[in-house]
Amino acid sequence: MPMEHKNTEVWYRLDLSAIVYPTLQRRDFSSVYRLSVVLKEEIDPEMMQQAVDLVMPRFPTYKAAIRKGVFWRYLEPNNRPGPFVQPDVKNPCQPMHFKGNNRYLVRFYYYGGRIALEAHHSLGDGTGGMCLLMTVTAQYLQLKERVHIRPEGFVLDPGSKPDPEELEDAYMRYANARVCPPRPQEKTYRVRGTKEPFYTLNIVDGIMSVSQVMQAAKRYQATITEYLNAVLIAAMLQKQEQEHRRRQLPVKIAMPVNLRRFFPSKTLRNFITMIYPGVDPRLGEYTFPEIVRQVQHYMRYHLDEKQLRGDITTNAATQRHPLIRVVPLFIKDFVVRQFYTKVQDKNSSAGLTNMGALQVPDSMTPYIERFDIYMGQPFSSRTNCAIISYGDVLTINFASSIIEADVERYFFRRLVRDGIHVKIESNRSQEE
Amino acid sequence: MSYCVNCGVELDGALTECPLCNTPVINPRELSRQKKQSPYPEEKGTVESVRRKDLGILTTSILGATAVSCGILNLLVFTGAPWSLTVIGACLLLWVMMIPLVIYSRQSVYLSLLLDGVATGLYLFILSFLTADRSWLWGLGIPIVILVTVLAELLTICIRHLPSSFLTNALYVVSVIGLLCLGLELLIDRYVSGNIALSWSAVVLTVVGVVDVLLITVLSRRRLRNEGRRRLHF
Repeated sequence: MPMEHKNTEVWYRLDLSAIVYPTLQRRDFSSVYRLSVVLKEEIDPEMMQQAVDLVMPRFPTYKAAIRKGVFWRYLEPNNRPGPFVQPDVKNPCQPMHFKGNNRYLVRFYYYGGRIALEAHHSLGDGTGGMCLLMTVTAQYLQLKERVHIRPEGFVLDPGSKPDPEELEDAYMRYANARVCPPRPQEKTYRVRGTKEPFYTLNIVDGIMSVSQVMQAAKRYQATITEYLNAVLIAAMLQKQEQEHRRRQLPVKIAMPVNLRRFFPSKTLRNFITMIYPGVDPRLGEYTFPEIVRQVQHYMRYHLDEKQLRGDITTNAATQRHPLIRVVPLFIKDFVVRQFYTKVQDKNSSAGLTNMGALQVPDSMTPYIERFDIYMGQPFSSRTNCAIISYGDVLTINFASSIIEADVERYFFRRLVRDGIHVKIESNRSQEE
Repeated sequence: MSYCVNCGVELDGALTECPLCNTPVINPRELSRQKKQSPYPEEKGTVESVRRKDLGILTTSILGATAVSCGILNLLVFTGAPWSLTVIGACLLLWVMMIPLVIYSRQSVYLSLLLDGVATGLYLFILSFLTADRSWLWGLGIPIVILVTVLAELLTICIRHLPSSFLTNALYVVSVIGLLCLGLELLIDRYVSGNIALSWSAVVLTVVGVVDVLLITVLSRRRLRNEGRRRLHF
């Protein structure tokens, strides 16, 4: 919720998730995610800049700079010039320094027909970012193609005032379970690979038909998310087996869940929690249908309003604790970083997010080809996988900072074996 | 349109090899194909560098101003003894210690520790001008500074280059504390009486030895470690 001082200057507390991301900031790492839309026509950068300038004031928590207080960081409105539209680069999701880029924590890129938005996770999650990207895209199309686009779904009206609910920390509204269930803490398999040089992010995009993936998933009586999760787990298991480790470890996938599905909120800030579907190869060899079943049971058990409420309450309990609140920020930073590096980051072998099927206003449909989503640079050497679909196009975007593409290879080969036609795009090998 | 013969996936026209298995893309029908525009730009981006020198400038100017003004006061007003040397030395010592924090954050930790040791030695040297007898400097002060610097460097090497966990770090720290106590007693004995005889440091060394054996045993037995974790979790 925005806080007002006597001089009416507004500032925002960081939400529960956003508190963690700035503490993980390193010279070579920021929690930056990327969303992009591919239009059928080439982008006009000047008009795109106009669209960005018109839309940004509608998103006060994105037109913001992050600042350090004594006990917590906070967001304050940023009235410096920008953010400026720039040509896209081969190595996206670069670190985002808080004092660089005129203190903006968003970047806008264009390349061919693509409009890309990169945002620091401390501002908001994929849903909030998608609202910003879609509103900019709608505004751009209104300027360029002179079409009228009615604000609906992810497209907001740039002329309207932000709803206070859009700026709220929704976690605090729903963190009211009477018990705090323990966090999962288990060391999991980590991909061993050769680290790429500084600032290199390897991307492999798989483009396929939604109906073909759905057909394959139906063969295992699973949803698309369950099926793709199982494929990623199978790929990681195969990779672990090929490494001939002395001691095998469980393979778990960190999967963000959009809490808006369970707890009504219009917030554009972070409102996600993590679940960790996976299998433990020490219990025996799993066939693929068994992995699917395991994922299915796990997800259906954990994707429940009560379970998620407990999870949010556990996370919020730390932030609410009066003793923790009065600890100076630099000590909190140190402790959170240690906890994340030693425990949280080891909880999962890879990340997978599914943004689901995107709906756009009808008047935008003729101009849009597809959407892409990247979870960004992983904190440690591993692979992150993000899925999004639009119409009948499903895009699976892998981002990693290691040279080897074994997980991606096993993943896509499994899809091909299941009868799915996959088209691959990548920044890994292209004609110089 | 080309497919990877190994992976069975269709490859984008701009790809020269399959990004999944590195198999080169050769389409016999399109040997002289037109280069297709890649979905990714070829230009690499760089991160904007940020000036973080404000705190460094502030620290340098405050410490510099304190040292200079005390020096002037000592020269012109309170001229009895060279008391400003203590302040000037302290400012210099603080400034050297602040270098990796606010001035040059990429400075090697080993160099930082070495510079800290040199600065402390220099400070003691300055202080020795205020005392009548300067034998303590070379007999006790400088050897202790050298001992502490060497042990700090050794501890850093262990933590950074040997296997690192909470227990191993505890092992390194406890061992270094033992060595420090031993070294201190030897240096003090040599300076005070000229005879080297272990007394209190022998007690510390015994305790350190017991703790080290305990830590090594726990480190080498997974079951013990897990048991400890279970019983001591908070």
